[in-house]
Amino acid sequence: MTAGRTLALVLAAAVGLTACNAAQPQQQQQGGTAASLTMWTFKKSHADALNKAAGQFKAETGISVTVEAVTPDDVFVSKVQSAAQTNGLPDVLEVHAGGEDLEMGASGLLQDLAADVNDAWKGRLLPSTQETGVLTQEKIDSVAADSPMKQGKAGQRFSVPFTAGAFGIVYANKDKLKAAGLDPETPPKTWEEFVAALEKTTAADQGGLSLGLKVSQTGFNWIYQPLAYAYLGKERFQALFAKGGTQGFSTPDGVKTLEVYSRLSPYWMPGATTLGIDEADVAFAQGKSAFNVGGTFTLAFLNQNGLSPDKLLTFPIPPSTEGRNQAISMSPLALTGLGVTASTRDREAAVKWIDWVTSPKGAGIVAKESLDLPATDLGAEAETLLGKDLAALQKYFTGPPETAYEAGDSSFFPSDYDQVKPGDLTVRLTPLKELTAQQAGTELDKVIAAMWKSTQ
Amino acid sequence: MSTLITGDRAARLDARPPARPPRLRRWLTGWAFVTPAVALFLLMGVYTIASGFLLSFATWNGFTPQWTWVGLKNYADLLYADLTLAPELRRALWNTLQVMVAVPVLTVVVALPLAMMLNSVTRLRALLRSVYFLPYVTSGIAVYYAWRYVLQPDGAINLLLGSLGLGSLAQPQGWLGNPDTALPTLILILVWSSVPVATLLYLSGLQAIDGNVIEAAQIDGAAPRHVLRHIIWPLLRPITIAIVLLGVRDALHGFQIFLIMTNGGPGGHTDVLGLMTYRLSFMKGLAPTLGVASALGWLLFAGAVLMTLAFGRRVR
Repeated sequence: MTAGRTLALVLAAAVGLTACNAAQPQQQQQGGTAASLTMWTFKKSHADALNKAAGQFKAETGISVTVEAVTPDDVFVSKVQSAAQTNGLPDVLEVHAGGEDLEMGASGLLQDLAADVNDAWKGRLLPSTQETGVLTQEKIDSVAADSPMKQGKAGQRFSVPFTAGAFGIVYANKDKLKAAGLDPETPPKTWEEFVAALEKTTAADQGGLSLGLKVSQTGFNWIYQPLAYAYLGKERFQALFAKGGTQGFSTPDGVKTLEVYSRLSPYWMPGATTLGIDEADVAFAQGKSAFNVGGTFTLAFLNQNGLSPDKLLTFPIPPSTEGRNQAISMSPLALTGLGVTASTRDREAAVKWIDWVTSPKGAGIVAKESLDLPATDLGAEAETLLGKDLAALQKYFTGPPETAYEAGDSSFFPSDYDQVKPGDLTVRLTPLKELTAQQAGTELDKVIAAMWKSTQ
Repeated sequence: MSTLITGDRAARLDARPPARPPRLRRWLTGWAFVTPAVALFLLMGVYTIASGFLLSFATWNGFTPQWTWVGLKNYADLLYADLTLAPELRRALWNTLQVMVAVPVLTVVVALPLAMMLNSVTRLRALLRSVYFLPYVTSGIAVYYAWRYVLQPDGAINLLLGSLGLGSLAQPQGWLGNPDTALPTLILILVWSSVPVATLLYLSGLQAIDGNVIEAAQIDGAAPRHVLRHIIWPLLRPITIAIVLLGVRDALHGFQIFLIMTNGGPGGHTDVLGLMTYRLSFMKGLAPTLGVASALGWLLFAGAVLMTLAFGRRVR
């Protein structure tokens, strides 16, 4: 009797719960048009800013958006992977632009937005970012045979550029420059001046250069590449990575660029190879180094860690006087994009949210809150919307075409290009000093050749 | 009294056995209890193992609906065909072998004397046992982060060496930043975290040894080192084998300490096979490398099985 009563109670509870669950969507439908969206991003600072912007968006449209940060990047990717398998994806994703978005889209996770993003919408974006997120035939042809992009069709757009910026931005602590007898308002104009400034700050016990070399490719991507680009010029720089390797890193030109880069050896912050990117930024914010290299996005993180923008002098990686170009500008590239997931139940609302948050108004709110540059062209309102410190970073985006370093241009790399391998080799060049510039050049040629061979 | 007992026995003899539930009902009840465990095993065990094995013959990035079958290519790429993967594998294999040999050997070298010492003390034994077991209790991600701070250029170890007048031994780039000290340092931390369990195992083994055997040897004039070599060591051999096998298993599969403390650096000097598998699985963006990661996992499994068989044969 007792068992029967218990069973009846369990059954009743189960039926009740089922009824509640079944009633929920019905109530929502009866309630009217109040749509509710969910969104994931891999940046905490973006989540906070987006949630603030979502409040304004709800006031204007009645659509509520809840943004959740999933960090760090690899956790974000694995969460998206598992959510895709269990049909648990949110409505909108913020993803890395120009690669991750295309792979996710071609894999069927993101919807094609080509018909939604019209010329007027594109016109709001920075010119160099407008086509980011669009799968081109050139991209399909260039990727490896087993890449998911091969499944996509040329012309499909899987994301709308959301934030933009550049790598290879040097941040200097003004107080430390002053303490070392350097002018805190005048950035070094050449690589040689930069190295001399490092020598002075190191000698004055103010610290050297911090960079998260635990992620070994940071040194190669953020310092060596812009330096070599300015030293060799665009065509000769791209030839370093070319198939066949006749103009590779072990040629006298290539070795020279590595030698110039290795002049940093005495000035790295102690233990730079054991620090991740964020840890190196924190070390800089804590005063353990005088200089720090990152991207435009680093400003927000430094500010979060107590180093306000007014205490910073910023400049791009300066060119060497021995090189071809005596100036450098960093072409802004779309860093992240917003995509609508294939499993969303309210595509219209999701597109509306992306449209709003990439408008000058929405992008301005997010940029000001997150201290990250938007892909939306804010025009004359930039300084008002972004604040002078963030807007000041934009001045490094413009310059003569021959000096414009495009970090987002991967057209000359092997399709299976793995940046960790050149990263490891350049760490062995500096700061570890296990390889000479000539040896590093020879080894770099070998790994690039191997990558070309594996893509055949 | 006896009547009562007799009557009770008679009543019991007369009583019929209790009615057994029908066979089908018993069968269903049994399966109802067993089914959750079986289903869980089928899903989490058999399905994932079979799926992982099949994946090693395909390429997949975790997103696309279909896998692309490539046969044995993933295995060939890892072993020799891919000129970027194969050298990476060889370097990681060499580092793994160093860890695999050093960690079990050092663990035994430290844990056995420690256990013997704990076995010989009569006072505060429980307290000392708890103290030595602490590294195991606190082991984990947080401890690895704590070790990173200790090993930094301005960390406690360099500070200690400097204050003891041994500044020349300090590592200006930190103990994990110098390629010569990074892997040995990680090995020592692995030993530090594996010694507690090994010590407890040895301690239980020592307490199980018959004291008369040792006493007899001592009466016959055996020195302590002879007792250790000819009595204690052979009797503890099964425990030593278990400790060594645990160390080998951890060296083959473990990657957390390498991921958190060095990420394989500096310059790839602490890359190991477990970390390489993790990197191929989750740190290649959306490249279709889950298949090759799975193949590496199965190669590791095959290596572990072969080594265990060889070890077992030798021990026998």
